[in-house]
Amino acid sequence: MRTLPTGQYIPGHSFLHQLDARVKILCLFLLMTAVIGASPLWGYALVLVVITMLILLSGLPLRCAVASVRRMCWFLLAIWLMNALFFAGEDVLASWGIFQLSRGGMKQGFRVVSNVVLILILGNLLTMTTLPTQVTTALESLIKPLKLIGVPTEEVAMIISVAIQFIPTLMEETELIKMAQIARGARFESKKLSERVASSLPLVVPIFISAFRRAEELALAMEARGYRNAKNRTRCQKEPLELYDYVALIVCALICLLQFLLPR
Amino acid sequence: MSKMSTVKCSIITAVCIGLCVVLPMAFHSIPNGGTLFSPMHIPVLLCGLICGWSFGLLCGLAGPLLSSLITGMPPMAYLPSMLVELATYGLICGLMINLVRTKKLYTDLYISLVVALLAGRIVAGVARALIFAAGRYSLAAWTTSYFVMTWPGLVIQLALVPAIVAALMKAKLIPERYPAQA
Repeated sequence: MRTLPTGQYIPGHSFLHQLDARVKILCLFLLMTAVIGASPLWGYALVLVVITMLILLSGLPLRCAVASVRRMCWFLLAIWLMNALFFAGEDVLASWGIFQLSRGGMKQGFRVVSNVVLILILGNLLTMTTLPTQVTTALESLIKPLKLIGVPTEEVAMIISVAIQFIPTLMEETELIKMAQIARGARFESKKLSERVASSLPLVVPIFISAFRRAEELALAMEARGYRNAKNRTRCQKEPLELYDYVALIVCALICLLQFLLPR
Repeated sequence: MSKMSTVKCSIITAVCIGLCVVLPMAFHSIPNGGTLFSPMHIPVLLCGLICGWSFGLLCGLAGPLLSSLITGMPPMAYLPSMLVELATYGLICGLMINLVRTKKLYTDLYISLVVALLAGRIVAGVARALIFAAGRYSLAAWTTSYFVMTWPGLVIQLALVPAIVAALMKAKLIPERYPAQA
């Protein structure tokens, strides 16, 4: 049986690798807020310094941390062009029909692309230094406070953990169905886009039927064993936060706060 | 489609969340397949239609989040607006399928789907305009990103989702909405 995909995770022993996954997720949200709320000059400079330090602390090669940005460079260029040509800026430099190239639009495009690139790098740092299983366990404990507003967090945690356990099985099923379609003449590797699309679409219905059959079997097995709800489930491992986890959290909160105090 | 036990609804939701991670991988052979065909939307819409609004909402939130954390797609920068969009799909689909009862399965499904697909796009556009890209988002950008670029995905969703629901009912994996009188 297949194992859960490790995604972008790169094994290591750096400071970022050792931080608790819960803290890393909270820090990611704080730093994402700092990026979104960054003032044009000082704000971006501060975020850039922080991200450079994080890359150094992660022990990852720079090309790994920015790999997804390089893959998306044409898409980012399209975003910049859309903003530069469609944004209703005052100081128009040139115009062709419905397109208007303005200084405001160019600045706007630069801001949008900068935000996307910085958040992409932050996301990469999280997924490259944390195992998917650690991330999901952290998510389970981070949603616990939602219990106060009536969210059944135990049920949610159970659903998420079953979903994660299902992923390798579903991948295996998908691969099997894909092989069966190839045997019937499907051409997934064809150079023609239309052939690839025509090959991929017939995968969808069998994948769903097979996945729902698995769900039916599991639900029946759980009910037959007397499972009713997830309220009384416990965890055998409890990992308290270390001092450096608290320090990282405080530093990120301060950066986020500073971002909104900087002159605009 | 609401006569299932909570356990079965929970497991179907888990499977739909798993499919939110796996299905986009199946479309990786097509360049830009994720944006064009929006494969992640199909399990969320199905979950809302089959299990109801609360499970649909959870699927819409957890699906893209897990996929982003495990596979890196969608990228973190696009995750918040996608979470809002998919959560609305799941929520509205579940609410609409409970409200609409025309005695015709396909009519119920299409009404629920169209309303959910429109509501999700509107809510995600509003969220981008007011929160995620405040002051930097235009109507032209919204139309381009949610209708022009994704029209193949829209067509596929409208064609496949009712077909999958009907196939699941035929396979007796979910209860009939209007069981034939014996």
